[in-house]
Amino acid sequence: MYRKQVRRRRAVLLLLVVASLTLLSLYFREGSDGPFHRAQRGVATVLGPFEEGADRALKPVRDLVNWFDETFEARGENDDLRDELAETRDQLAQAQTAARQGDELAKLQALTGGGLVPPGYEPVTARVIGRSPTVWYSVVTIDKGSGAGLRVDDPVVAADGLAGRVSAVTKGTAQVTLITDAESSVTGRVLPEGATGVVEPNVGDPRDLLLNFVQREDEISENQMVVTAGYASGSLDSLFPPGIPIGEVTDATAEETQAYQRVHLRAFADLRDMEFVQALVQTRGDGA
Amino acid sequence: MILTPGITVRLCLLVLVTALVQVTFFSKLQLFGATPDGAVLVVMALGLVGGSVSGAVTGFSVGLLIDCLLFETLGAFAATYMCVGYVAGRYRETMGLPGRVGVALLGGGFTLLGLIVFAGIQIATGIDADVSTRVIGDAIGKTLLGAALSLPLFLGVKLVLRPAVIDDRPSGRRPLTPRAAGTRS
Repeated sequence: MYRKQVRRRRAVLLLLVVASLTLLSLYFREGSDGPFHRAQRGVATVLGPFEEGADRALKPVRDLVNWFDETFEARGENDDLRDELAETRDQLAQAQTAARQGDELAKLQALTGGGLVPPGYEPVTARVIGRSPTVWYSVVTIDKGSGAGLRVDDPVVAADGLAGRVSAVTKGTAQVTLITDAESSVTGRVLPEGATGVVEPNVGDPRDLLLNFVQREDEISENQMVVTAGYASGSLDSLFPPGIPIGEVTDATAEETQAYQRVHLRAFADLRDMEFVQALVQTRGDGA
Repeated sequence: MILTPGITVRLCLLVLVTALVQVTFFSKLQLFGATPDGAVLVVMALGLVGGSVSGAVTGFSVGLLIDCLLFETLGAFAATYMCVGYVAGRYRETMGLPGRVGVALLGGGFTLLGLIVFAGIQIATGIDADVSTRVIGDAIGKTLLGAALSLPLFLGVKLVLRPAVIDDRPSGRRPLTPRAAGTRS
């Protein structure tokens, strides 16, 4: 009897391990229109409304927990950084009021309504309803999908700057791969000089981005703004419109043995705590 | 665990709710700089309550649903949570049900195990970007949060599956013997 149980247990384990490895390898091998990707989108489509409902239902609890965390964090900063007290209070007060969402939306409108959206694009506002639980993926799920006109590779902006791009869509939801994800790469331009490089993540540190492939001769200094350069790089097929703020330079080092500088950026958008984003949807075929 | 049709339905609902709550609630929390992983704790609890086979199957199912909800590599979370569920189940089968302190310690340990397995899968499948040392800080934070949250989630899972739970841990009360009960013949 016991031996039978052991055999059954081992058989189930073996089956699940084989299933996991098969899924992993086949998922990587097939294209985005393969059967596993289609099945994944099908499941996500079915669960999309439940996900949105759960997100709304759990929001008050989530806000309460985050309020405690922000209060705790603000107290720590209060002790250590007296000169930032006023700013911290402002942030705390903002977090404690329901006007936060309105502010975020207003900033979004200001960002995309301030001439940053080029002709041929239209902003579609969406709510963030899901988030990756691990630092290895930096993706969020939003409550607008192909039904609202979103397509894969559409750029997505948050209240303070570039957030990422649409990487998968269902009818009612879409996945946004953030600029802090390991698979993300965006060409950026340092203002005002115009040096260009590729903005890539520093996986595990959502506050830090790296601007790679900047020539040694280019003069880069702290607090300079980096915006999208306006053309694609790496695996991205579509263009980010030029001029969307990405972040500001926090550090630039050029080692003698390296051909390029290593520039660190701090993203403008608070990618860990955003409620709303806007996808820039192409309204005409040649928008890319 | 005794699997009846009713318990199977409860398990299925628990798997679905766990995946949804992980993506929409736990993942959006920031506590002391880390994001808690509630799903790994529920899977651990299912392994501890139901044994290795139940733990592995439910862990695989929760992980697969999260893979689908996030549109991420199918099998990555599934393999991670399957591993956690199986090891938690084997712990139950060899050591018995842990006490409250044991559940908290196991919560931290299994969270760390899940992080290591997931990181291993990511490294094995290839990372095209730099990896910050903050990953370690995040892992420590997640582990501590896992220890703190494991007991309430464990008790919740036990409550949901109460009719099917076989409690093999000796209770605090001493068994009544004829002498202790004061029987006089």
